[in-house]
Amino acid sequence: MPTNSHGLSRIELLQGTLDLIILQTLRWGPRHGYGIAQMIRASSQDVLQVDTGSLYPALHRLERQGWIAADWSTSENKQRVRIYTLTAKGRKQLERERSQWEQLSRAIGAILTPAATQPESES
Amino acid sequence: MSRRDDEIREEIHAHLALAIADRMARGATRAEAERAARAEFGNVTHVAEVTREVGRGVWLERLGQDLRYGWRALRRTPAFTTVAVATLALAIGANSAVFTVVNSVLLAPLPFRDPGRLYAASYLPTGLPFELPPGLDDRLYLEYRAHVSRFEQVAGYQRQALTLSGAGDATRLAGALASSTFFDVLGVQPALGRAFTAAEDQPGNERVVILSDGLWRTRFNGDRGILGATITLDGVPRTVVGVMPRGFTFPAASQVWTPLAVRLDAGNSFIFPVVGRLRAGATPEQAKSELAAIARAMPQDPRAAGFHPTAAIIPLKDTLTSHVRTSLLVLAGAVAFVLLIACANVANLLLIRAATRRHEMAVRVALGASRGRIARQLLTESVLIALIGGALGILVAFAGVRALLAMAPAGRIPRIGEVQMNGWVLLFTLAVSVITGILFGVVPARSGARREPHEALGQGMRLVGGPHHRLRSIFVTGEIALALILLTGAGLMIKSFLIMRSLDIGYDASRVVTMAVDLPSIAYPDAARIQAFHTTMLERLSRIPGASAVGAVSFRPMGDVGIMGDFQVEGPSPLPHGYNVDKPTVSPGYFGALGIRILAGRDFTAADRAGAPGVVVVSETVAKQIWPNASAVGRRISMQEHPGPNDWLTVIGVVNDVVQDAALSRHSTLYLPYLQTTSPFFLNHMTFVVRPAPGASVATAMRAALRDVDPAVPAQALQTMDQSMMETIAEPVFQMRLLATFAFLALLLAALGTYGVLAYDVSGRTREIGLRMALGATPGIVLRMVLGRTAVLALLGAALGVAGSLTLTSVLTMSLFEVKPTDPITLVAVTVVLMLAALVAGYLPAQRAAGVRALTTLLLHE
Repeated sequence: MPTNSHGLSRIELLQGTLDLIILQTLRWGPRHGYGIAQMIRASSQDVLQVDTGSLYPALHRLERQGWIAADWSTSENKQRVRIYTLTAKGRKQLERERSQWEQLSRAIGAILTPAATQPESES
Repeated sequence: MSRRDDEIREEIHAHLALAIADRMARGATRAEAERAARAEFGNVTHVAEVTREVGRGVWLERLGQDLRYGWRALRRTPAFTTVAVATLALAIGANSAVFTVVNSVLLAPLPFRDPGRLYAASYLPTGLPFELPPGLDDRLYLEYRAHVSRFEQVAGYQRQALTLSGAGDATRLAGALASSTFFDVLGVQPALGRAFTAAEDQPGNERVVILSDGLWRTRFNGDRGILGATITLDGVPRTVVGVMPRGFTFPAASQVWTPLAVRLDAGNSFIFPVVGRLRAGATPEQAKSELAAIARAMPQDPRAAGFHPTAAIIPLKDTLTSHVRTSLLVLAGAVAFVLLIACANVANLLLIRAATRRHEMAVRVALGASRGRIARQLLTESVLIALIGGALGILVAFAGVRALLAMAPAGRIPRIGEVQMNGWVLLFTLAVSVITGILFGVVPARSGARREPHEALGQGMRLVGGPHHRLRSIFVTGEIALALILLTGAGLMIKSFLIMRSLDIGYDASRVVTMAVDLPSIAYPDAARIQAFHTTMLERLSRIPGASAVGAVSFRPMGDVGIMGDFQVEGPSPLPHGYNVDKPTVSPGYFGALGIRILAGRDFTAADRAGAPGVVVVSETVAKQIWPNASAVGRRISMQEHPGPNDWLTVIGVVNDVVQDAALSRHSTLYLPYLQTTSPFFLNHMTFVVRPAPGASVATAMRAALRDVDPAVPAQALQTMDQSMMETIAEPVFQMRLLATFAFLALLLAALGTYGVLAYDVSGRTREIGLRMALGATPGIVLRMVLGRTAVLALLGAALGVAGSLTLTSVLTMSLFEVKPTDPITLVAVTVVLMLAALVAGYLPAQRAAGVRALTTLLLHE
């Protein structure tokens, strides 16, 4: 049985972060909105639960920016669904956002665990 | 419901259906699954709504966000914001002020009905030594008016000055002669009463007058009973038949209009402007061919042989404004340069500010803001700055327009009464503000958004060296170059002005007071009565205590009037055909009063009168050209085409040439004694000149003398010759002052910009400088280092500016007097001024750098 862990461990996602996560999710192939939500939840071990009120606006926004494309298709159980695909532009954006994220998390990590870093040198 | 709404609903429905199916597959009942899925999904309507919001109004919403964010950012840096906004307010305001004048004078349609169809018709000789304003001669006008078909109607008019007497003090009024068709052609009818009738175009019927609204209100208290009343103009009683609507003063600030009744004169033809309203469907080209055809069909005047008249159909507006067009556009260009310099300054400030905001930007980038978004944010900020600057600029423009109008030479700029700030000016200011904001914001925004987050985050808050070092130098170099171009323009105008002022004009008359009179032909119908008036006046003036010399001249140097003509020489004459000279009529003593030197022979005396042998005084150039190897005194010339035995005038004296008019060239002149002049035309306009004894003031006494002799004659141009000179060169002086103002602004901004960049450089290099000092550099070396950098920037800018000046200042050619637009002395002088200003601007930061103490800085930074 899935545990209902939201409330306590649910983390509010920053707008840019959600975009990054969606793009990353779509890297594994086209998916509909429900599938994206499920996958984010599963791959974050239920920590991140995306609010549909954030997910759908984000999908539509990313579509507008040309980072993902959408098309109607029919699922296995005959349900008409809107399928989102990562575009080439989106793939590039994902690379950029990922490297930024990595820099940020490294930087924040460095701040939180100062002992682990060297005093930077001046050029 | 739109298709997109349906799609969103369907997408949400699919989400729920999939969620329910999932749960049922895991063993839940349909009811449980539905409840759980809905609970997890949340409010369907809300999700649909926020999804729909995407794209709609997002642009606007982001703009709103950016503006709020920008506003907060600006408030956080009040010093920067104040300097940037003030710089822009000044520069944009100056542009709006100049645009206000350009718009009203050059761009706005004339305040007449359908003004685009109004054209001036002209058929005049070309290739004359002077330029005639467009017009037709009287015979052609009559013929043209009768036969023209391309114009609905044509109207003749002619400016005139009239003396209004009998209603308060006698006053001189600007007015116009106007044909009966004049008001119809312009499409403006009297607000009160009627326009002229065709019958009033005939000589003998013209004793009627139409008043301007202004004159009617100020002189006649806006009394409607004025219609049918009689007023006296130039001593002639005329019946008031109409009052024009408020604001109508065409041509040239006219206050009264009288009928243009053409009286043909066998010996002369008179030229006046003719305006027509183009018929619908006709083109100016067709009208031009028609005019040429009508003119060629007329019998030719043998005296006009050799001149080649050309037909021209010119938009009426162009004929009014053509002579100020260039100088107004030059000013508009100059003030645009000031704005560009301001842009460079603000862009540099933004770059410096961007350096201090790198951390903020990096955090935003790291948090997912796209570079585009950040660039847009920064651009929004700069446009916001520009808009605030523009809003304040409107206030600056208000003051600027008032100052411009106050400085503008009276009566020299056409349509000056129409100058006002209006919707177009506001629109212009708005557009200029937005463009300015983008212009100075785009480079800082691009480079601000390009920062890599790790760079800033990694380096923390410390500032090192200076980013955008190269960009800032480019901006400073650019603004120095622009400032130099403006300085050159102003320098050329100033040099030209100085040459004008130091010009040897041929007389020494800075303190001589003039007073012009026009004698109305009703009271002074013949030469004898006019001469009697002059004689009495001269006698009265000479009795003024403090008057050391008096004289009279029919048209004074630096006046508005001039009469030129040819003459015959007894015996063989070396003069080319069409050699024209000035022919003023003067009194005895005139030369002495004005300080014109008698080089040979004698002055006129009271004995040179009617009945005595005819005499004439010639100016130096005339004497030299006709009798190069002999004395002119005793030779004979005549003003008549075919002189009879009594038409010969003996030369009794030679005087030096004088500068007569605004062209400031010396004229060849023949002087005739007023007591031997018989045509009232050459006598009834006379200027009396009085040279005051040192320390004496004579103007009031001169006015009193005139009142004693004839109270109905108003005194005109009661001023010193020096003032006349200033009036004559008022236009270039006006242009010089404005250019100098703008150039000064430019210099100030460029100096501030240089200072800003160097000060920032020095503050960024404190550490390096400290290190150098620690390693043994003396304050002197550091000072030289910073000043050296200043000099490099200034030299680069100056070199660019000189190149720019050489290509651009030719637009001033028309306004310059005996100075070439490429005058090397001016270029060197302004370059020196600019270099000095830059070095002064660099000196403060340099001194600060030299004051850096080695130890402190090293400690401070470790």
